[in-house]
Amino acid sequence: MTMRIVSILLYVLVFSAPSFPQTPAFTIGMSQCNLGEPWRVQMNADIKKAAAEHPELRVTFKDAQNDNLRQSAHIDEFIRSGVNLIIVSPKEAAPLTKPISDAYKKGIPVIVLDRRILGNDYTCFIGADNKKIGRAAGRWIAKLLGGKGKIVELKGLMTSTPGQDRHFGFREGIKGSGCEVIFEADMKWLEPNARKEMESALSRFSQIDLVYAHNDPGAHGAFLAAKAAGRDGKMKFIGIDALPQEGRMYVKQGILAASFEYPTGGREAVETALQILRGKKVAREITLPSRVFTKDSIDKGGELLP
Amino acid sequence: MRQLLHNPAGRAVLSLVLVVAVGVCFNADGTFFRWDTHRDMLRLVSVYGILAAAMTIVVVAGGIDLSVGSLLGLSAVCFSLFSIQWGWGALPSVCATMCIGAVCGSISGGAIGRFKVQPFIATLAMMVFARGLAKYISSGQKISTAVIGADGAYVYIPVPGIFDVIGMRVWDDNIAVVTLLMIVALLAAWVFLSQTVPGRELYAIGGNDEAARFSGVSIPVNTVLAYALSGLFCAAAGIAQAAQELQGDPEAGATYELSAIAMVVIGGTSLRGGTGGIHLTILGILIIGYLEKILSINAVGEDTRLMLTGIIIIAAVLFQKKGA
Repeated sequence: MTMRIVSILLYVLVFSAPSFPQTPAFTIGMSQCNLGEPWRVQMNADIKKAAAEHPELRVTFKDAQNDNLRQSAHIDEFIRSGVNLIIVSPKEAAPLTKPISDAYKKGIPVIVLDRRILGNDYTCFIGADNKKIGRAAGRWIAKLLGGKGKIVELKGLMTSTPGQDRHFGFREGIKGSGCEVIFEADMKWLEPNARKEMESALSRFSQIDLVYAHNDPGAHGAFLAAKAAGRDGKMKFIGIDALPQEGRMYVKQGILAASFEYPTGGREAVETALQILRGKKVAREITLPSRVFTKDSIDKGGELLP
Repeated sequence: MRQLLHNPAGRAVLSLVLVVAVGVCFNADGTFFRWDTHRDMLRLVSVYGILAAAMTIVVVAGGIDLSVGSLLGLSAVCFSLFSIQWGWGALPSVCATMCIGAVCGSISGGAIGRFKVQPFIATLAMMVFARGLAKYISSGQKISTAVIGADGAYVYIPVPGIFDVIGMRVWDDNIAVVTLLMIVALLAAWVFLSQTVPGRELYAIGGNDEAARFSGVSIPVNTVLAYALSGLFCAAAGIAQAAQELQGDPEAGATYELSAIAMVVIGGTSLRGGTGGIHLTILGILIIGYLEKILSINAVGEDTRLMLTGIIIIAAVLFQKKGA
């Protein structure tokens, strides 16, 4: 009985395969390091959306679930299956440099998205600059507060590069102004943790002028804590990432005073991939521009950061 | 003093007193002496506390439930989906979510009680499966009040009333509704374990399942019941989590099972089963809750925090063992 079911299944599989619509001209392998983060889900969605506008492209997605070795295996699989181009957003530089370099040396163009690898064996790197965004946020906040104020900083994770860059960039940005960080804590990018840390800050300090969180869920968690304490009207909340359904929504609702965009680069990756596949030359480094969204600028699509 | 150290409750009380004493010493400019600090701590531990109540029921029966965190995430997603996106009323949303939790729990329970799969393995499978299901239902995105409108752009819809009810505070702002939910859950678990026949039978199964079987206790039925109750509690925790975050996050509850286990064990309930109870878990909840709060008000860095938490957990458990 089992054998029969298996053979029927096999039969269906074998004979349904050739009935796919005409084979697209190019196959792209997209290796994502972790789909547990909304920002990375958005990156994949951006790639999918951009690729859908080009019927000649077919994109295969793989999710490494935050595991270097699994991601490295995914890249090997892409090489063996003969994809025309690989887009990879690596988990970590060192363990993924070799598989990416192998692919590149076999003549498969590689676009590295968001996080870097070691060495030069890739076609193009696309990413935004967290430190620059942090600095811009610092300057913007100093201006908003009129040069002085008490700030709570809810940090992503100080053992991660984005956390460090958003922290040190911000400190550079507020340097020289009268703005002072009175409380800082790691919230591990998670909203419930941000709420917990903010509750502590609220019971410890009677005056807080602004909360700078390293991501929008963090800023939202801080807002919820302040709202529960009846103090949300007395302070402003600033976040980073500005995903359409998250940060930008919070700005629209008036919860956040501003959200700084950390672009996913999904669309740019697909456009660059098309150029490479059509034999055009592309820049080796593409630094994505970032925008700030405020209540005034959100309907106009935000404001480009200098 | 000797008398006090002689039973697990006495030892847990002493651990709690020590942790509170640390809070008195490192009071962060007097923050520790303010009521709102304690109120916020009780809010913070509520979701963990409900999971710890669930965990106690299965641990007493000699099992373990690794799926509590994932079931919390799944329930948070389902509850948000029903009440925010599908516009169901409060009662049907709550009931449907609780049903899903109980069904998932009874599947684990069935595998353990009927098919003799080890609790660790069965609930590990459920932990992975439920997380996957939560991500599948939500397409990996948080289910919030931002929904895609007719024109493809995101629009904001108001939060359903039930979210505000669960997320607010009552009695002159002195206690969070989620804390009351935790108290209800702990009370229900206590009544079940100590006052009902099936509850007493779980102790018998946890103590010696062969002996329990020979004295006429049905192991499959009781095991399914224990894990179904655990799933039910997880669903309640998921609803409380969603109401506080105003969204259903498919990643919610990751690693919460570890905190729940820590709370149960620090209280003095043995993972071998057959002993312990909710009164000990309550002490465990307070110990972990105060520890977290004290580290938080003093703005201790994440690295130090992890190390200190590890040291204190092992110290508290060793203390429990030494007295036994």
